[in-house]
Amino acid sequence: MPAIEVHALTRAFKKGPRAVDGIDLTVDEGEIYGFLGPNGAGKSTTVLMLTTLLPPTSGTALVAGFDVVKDGARVRGAIGAALQEAALDRFLTGWEHVRLQGALHGMSRSDIERRGGELLDRVGMREAASRKVGGYSGGMKRRLDLALALLHRPRVLFLDEPTTGLDPQSRAALWNEVARLSRDEGVTVFLTTQYLEEADALAGRVGIIDHGTIVAEGTPTALKAEIGRASVEIEPHEAARLADLERTLAQFGTAIAAPATGAAIRLDAGVADVAPIVRALDAEGIRIHQLRLREPTLDDVFLEKTGRTLQGSGDSATEGDEA
Amino acid sequence: MTRRRGWTSAVAGIASRQTRVLLKSPALLIPSLLFPMLFFAALAGGLAELARVPGFDYPAGYTSFQFVFVLFQASMFGGVFTGFAAARDFESGFARRLLLAVPHRSAILVGYVVSAMVRAAIIMAFVTVVALLAGLDLIGSPLDVGLLFALALLSNILGSLWALGIALRFRTMNVAPLMQVPFFVLLFLAPVYVPLDLLSGWIREIADVNPVTFLLEAGRALLVGEAGPVGTAWLVILIGGIILGIWSLAALRSAERG
Repeated sequence: MPAIEVHALTRAFKKGPRAVDGIDLTVDEGEIYGFLGPNGAGKSTTVLMLTTLLPPTSGTALVAGFDVVKDGARVRGAIGAALQEAALDRFLTGWEHVRLQGALHGMSRSDIERRGGELLDRVGMREAASRKVGGYSGGMKRRLDLALALLHRPRVLFLDEPTTGLDPQSRAALWNEVARLSRDEGVTVFLTTQYLEEADALAGRVGIIDHGTIVAEGTPTALKAEIGRASVEIEPHEAARLADLERTLAQFGTAIAAPATGAAIRLDAGVADVAPIVRALDAEGIRIHQLRLREPTLDDVFLEKTGRTLQGSGDSATEGDEA
Repeated sequence: MTRRRGWTSAVAGIASRQTRVLLKSPALLIPSLLFPMLFFAALAGGLAELARVPGFDYPAGYTSFQFVFVLFQASMFGGVFTGFAAARDFESGFARRLLLAVPHRSAILVGYVVSAMVRAAIIMAFVTVVALLAGLDLIGSPLDVGLLFALALLSNILGSLWALGIALRFRTMNVAPLMQVPFFVLLFLAPVYVPLDLLSGWIREIADVNPVTFLLEAGRALLVGEAGPVGTAWLVILIGGIILGIWSLAALRSAERG
């Protein structure tokens, strides 16, 4: 039985476009599923619906085998979630949060103490747990939030942009823990992120969402293989030769987005084209200031599917009137 | 875990968290204590001469007469302040933790109501101690006085259900005046300064049908062990509780819809 099964899931807001527009997806038990997209693409709205925080306008979603609309209480009992803003009370200590979370889930006091201690140790928060949350750093809040999400041993864990704003060390620690949860405890992880490397490093499969629809889905390797070809980005030594550079490069592949000071193409014949390009530019008298050869990335997959780069597309997108 | 045990545990968790936060942050508790004290000082101290008005025959004196009003006002506003806390939880995002973790969400509402009652009990204890020092005269039997405190404490539920209904519908502190103003109006259109019989004109007509009048008249009667509209007061609590319970549950459904 899949851990998450979604059919034609839609959420429309009164004053905005359809934030999620009829998506279908399936996540198997124990899988880490990366849900990738720019700000406003519909990632968070999807998570809110799957975690029963927002009812869908239409479509169905089963989480841990339970319908998110008809059987919300059972869904909530089976999931854990750490959303974008760690929902913590600055007046309470870490331990007080643990005890509250346990009480909300109806856990026994002894189980809360045992499991809470174990999780605080695992996320490195045991010492800080007796202090008020108001004094925690962003990374500490995230780690405590993760421990709270895991307290009642959920079968499915939702992490909504869990590493946004974290320093590289905290990010790496969180990646390790998420990977361990899936590998050792069989927890299904639904991870939304705008960071390509995060999805690449963690996710067994990736879904790319844009303007509320899933534009690509598969393993990161398969998605990149779909694009197949490497790309090259060149900056001329003299800015005045940019147009000549673009004309020459056009013989070797399809133009793709590049910095204003250079040009880039997806190579028709792959890496083998690099030497002929250099020779052609030399023949034209165009001196190369910088040349970068890149293997396909998930950003390339996004570009291929949407015509835009992932990192630069967030600003124009909207997610409607979110709750 | 049974459904009932899980529900009770969630109620206790939410109420306990609210109480902890209240006790840890004096800035949240002090206004709840200060308001009734100001009223008590202004009404019982400043207007004590009203006890000489012909027809004012309250046996326990003007301080005790005003104590009942301040007790109900403190209790009801303890409920309103809990509405503020719920609105703050929605604004800060903390309410999402509750909505995400609690299987049966009516526990959230009840948890806030229980915490409001704890808050009211603290304030009422404080008000009573101050009133005793200021000359409060408890003439009624222990049972009567106990019933007075029970009535006042239960009136807190009306305040909290009203305010929670507003907080859960709008989910912002910007609507705090909407939580307070109706209770201010109801309280001050009741016989605050003198007994109902001494009111006349439009205010008497309003006071005659104002539910708070029955609470105050019953409370003042219980304090001195006399007959009063005690049964009607319990009915006000019951009917008000049912109406405002439906109102706040509908607001919870609205919060669930996002």
